[in-house]
Amino acid sequence: MYGLFRERAEAVSARVIRAGGPGEAAGALAGIIEEEKVKKIVAEPSGMVERCVRILEERGVLAEGGQEGGGRPALFFRDLRRQAGDAGLGISEMALAVAETGSLAGDCTSMESRLVSTLPPVHVALVPSSGLVATPGEAIERFYGGGRTPGYLSFISGPSRTADIERVLTIGVHGPERLYIILVDEEGGGGND
Amino acid sequence: MTEGFRERIAAALDNQNLRRALGNFADAYLGARENAYQGKDFEAIRRKIAGIKKGAAENMEELAHRFTRAAEKAGAVVYRASTPEEARDYIKNLAQARGVKSVVKSKSMVTEEIHLNRSLKEAGIEVRETDLGEWIIQLSGQKPSHMVMPAIHMTRGEVAGVFSAETGKELSDEIPVLVKVAREELRQKFLAAGMGISGANIAVAETGTIVMVTNEGNGRLTTTLPPLHVAVVGLDKLVSSIGDVAPILEALPRSATAQHMTSYVTMITGPVPAMDRAGNPVEKEMHIVLLDNGRTKMASDPVFKEALQCIRCASCLNVCPVFQLVGGHVYGHVYTGGIGTILTAFHHGLEKAESIQSLCLGCERCKAFCPAGIDIPALIRELRARITGRKGLPAGSRFLLETVLPSRSLFHGLIKAASAAQKPFVREGGYVRHLPLFLAGLTRGRSLPAIAGRPFRDVAGSLPAPRNPGERIGFFAGCLIDFVYPRIGEAVHKILAGMGCRVVFPPGQTCCGLPASYMGAPGPAARIARQNIAAFGEDCRYILTACPTCATFLKRDYPRLLREDGEWAGRAERFAARVVDFSSFVSREGFRPAGGFAGTRITYHDSCHLKRNLGVFREPRELLAGAGYDLVEMKWPDRCCGFGGSYSMRFPEVSRSILEAKIKDITETGARVVATDCPGCLLQLAGGLDAGGRREIRAAHTAELLCE
Repeated sequence: MYGLFRERAEAVSARVIRAGGPGEAAGALAGIIEEEKVKKIVAEPSGMVERCVRILEERGVLAEGGQEGGGRPALFFRDLRRQAGDAGLGISEMALAVAETGSLAGDCTSMESRLVSTLPPVHVALVPSSGLVATPGEAIERFYGGGRTPGYLSFISGPSRTADIERVLTIGVHGPERLYIILVDEEGGGGND
Repeated sequence: MTEGFRERIAAALDNQNLRRALGNFADAYLGARENAYQGKDFEAIRRKIAGIKKGAAENMEELAHRFTRAAEKAGAVVYRASTPEEARDYIKNLAQARGVKSVVKSKSMVTEEIHLNRSLKEAGIEVRETDLGEWIIQLSGQKPSHMVMPAIHMTRGEVAGVFSAETGKELSDEIPVLVKVAREELRQKFLAAGMGISGANIAVAETGTIVMVTNEGNGRLTTTLPPLHVAVVGLDKLVSSIGDVAPILEALPRSATAQHMTSYVTMITGPVPAMDRAGNPVEKEMHIVLLDNGRTKMASDPVFKEALQCIRCASCLNVCPVFQLVGGHVYGHVYTGGIGTILTAFHHGLEKAESIQSLCLGCERCKAFCPAGIDIPALIRELRARITGRKGLPAGSRFLLETVLPSRSLFHGLIKAASAAQKPFVREGGYVRHLPLFLAGLTRGRSLPAIAGRPFRDVAGSLPAPRNPGERIGFFAGCLIDFVYPRIGEAVHKILAGMGCRVVFPPGQTCCGLPASYMGAPGPAARIARQNIAAFGEDCRYILTACPTCATFLKRDYPRLLREDGEWAGRAERFAARVVDFSSFVSREGFRPAGGFAGTRITYHDSCHLKRNLGVFREPRELLAGAGYDLVEMKWPDRCCGFGGSYSMRFPEVSRSILEAKIKDITETGARVVATDCPGCLLQLAGGLDAGGRREIRAAHTAELLCE
């Protein structure tokens, strides 16, 4: 399933990285931050994102506590409505990766998860590899099963795109121009292949 | 025809940018769509969607109630609007009550349908379309020309002009630059807007969820940044349960834009957290306007309820040979193309659809592609019948249908008179190159064949029969073989006799009646049907025709026309069951062509009726290859040649333009012969080759090629 997911996600211009655990995921994140040369980062305050950010703070990649310092980029978990507008990169966590379409699926009911994945030009999504599912239908079932109803379920497939002028595909309209997906395996256990 | 209709068509045909954009898209779409569906069972998917949406249409009222209850339980406010005016007023009043100064909108056809922007603007509220295509359209003061790609008719240069005027800067026409301008200009609008308006692709009654299928990211911004979200949803978007979403998502992106999934699919249930510009949490409001505007009327119509199955993918536009030429603006209203014709009739009024319904060629290609299983051509024919029923046929048409077509001797007499009249215009080779006066349009870009000196009915009796005749086969000639191409009838006769069949030609037969039906006159069509059924009696094993259009009408439409006509209902069923087209009959009965055509390069044109209505396309190819022809496929062999019977007389310019594309495809194969099973296509193709100076390529009926 991972192979198909990766193929389909890359076909819609997402970049896919597989990490053996949070440590590796944080390393991949550091690489992206460096490659994108961002000064300001906004992040959704969720379990996996917080964990990776803490590792990067310990490693000295990020300045601690949202303060830009020593040429290191600043990262914000709060006040995102104001901070996300000029941030260069947003980090969020998405629960599922859909193999057939190369999509991510996640409950984006929190305002933070939506702000970090819509406003900055780069979106990095952390996804547990145990969240690989086959089809969008299966993803919908996972979220709506057992009588639950998420307020705002998002499927995201690649960066934002348009073909509205002469049908020429152009990446990056109102949403992110680039999407990185880091699939994170559980520590000590493999992911869902 | 409504005023300006022909002028719009002429202008569209003259617009080279439009022709190029639509032509390129039409070619690219088919391949890309096919790729997107790879590994999927399209037929199974569309059966499923048709089932879901049919059920929803039949239970529209109940679903609307369930949806309302669920959405209200989730915290949304639901308003049911019967008319566009009610919807507009509700939204305008809400905006005014909340002190909204500016609104951002994501793409929504239904808000176009109710002309929402105009009403908000009149109330002094700034409205910004944020979908790139819609924004271009809004800034240039136009209407969308396509449901999915609203600005497909505009070039990058035109867009640069529009954006330069808006921003006051001189912008280059590089597309990435233009897209960036949209991002930057509209970002400020998103951040400042007091209200976001969206449409919905699906509305789920079980949970009160709306589903939005988008690509640019403006849909997520519209529903996230402003503290007030209004979703305008047509009642046709309702489905019963959350399980109904996935099948629609399986088809919509694939059929609309050849994507497995669009960049964003968003499923919203009730108001979600929001913040003001300073970042303080605020109470979000979500309002859902459920719009009727003709939809419940449609749902209660036994025929047109089928149109509610539409998921607005626009593939019927993308594959329509007429839309490919003239684009959306000739349709004059919001909804365009095949399904747009029906929607226009219900949402904007039957009289508004009067002209545009006549644009349909009847090639039935859209039906083959519709992911919701809607028989769009049949609905357009029904629309035509209702319009005709209301207005009556013009006197000339009534004389033709009620007097001339049923009377073979009168028809024949008139044709013979015409044949005599045309003599001065027939040039060598049996083509009419020019016709006098008002008929001149018929021969522009297409030479017409001369009417045969002796019709088939006069030679049928003297054709040789086999010594020990076997099965009795009735031959239905149809008008074109009878009066224009008796040589096809002779070829069919020769082949059947060679197979040991006893071929009979009941002289009481007449026109198949299709022209009457297509002109919206079911009464005369039924009369003609009874006449033909009586002429053939019950003692032929098969009724064979070498015209797929006749075959379709005899087989598919006779039982429908005579369904409630006493004993004729059963007779029509038995008659239809025995109707067979030439190629499938001779192929099935094991006809072995003489062969000896090795090396003759040939290409095959699929007649619309043969391929899509009778499902026959392998048989003629196998027969021709079996005869030794070197068969080379042309690009899109099943794209219509533009004949469409009387269509080529009603819209000669459209017909001619479609023909030109076909001739190009044929020429590119390097074939010396183009074969087809349809005498109508033959007339069109041979005429186009002759007029286009491609006289080295011969057009012929499969039967002729097999018996040479």
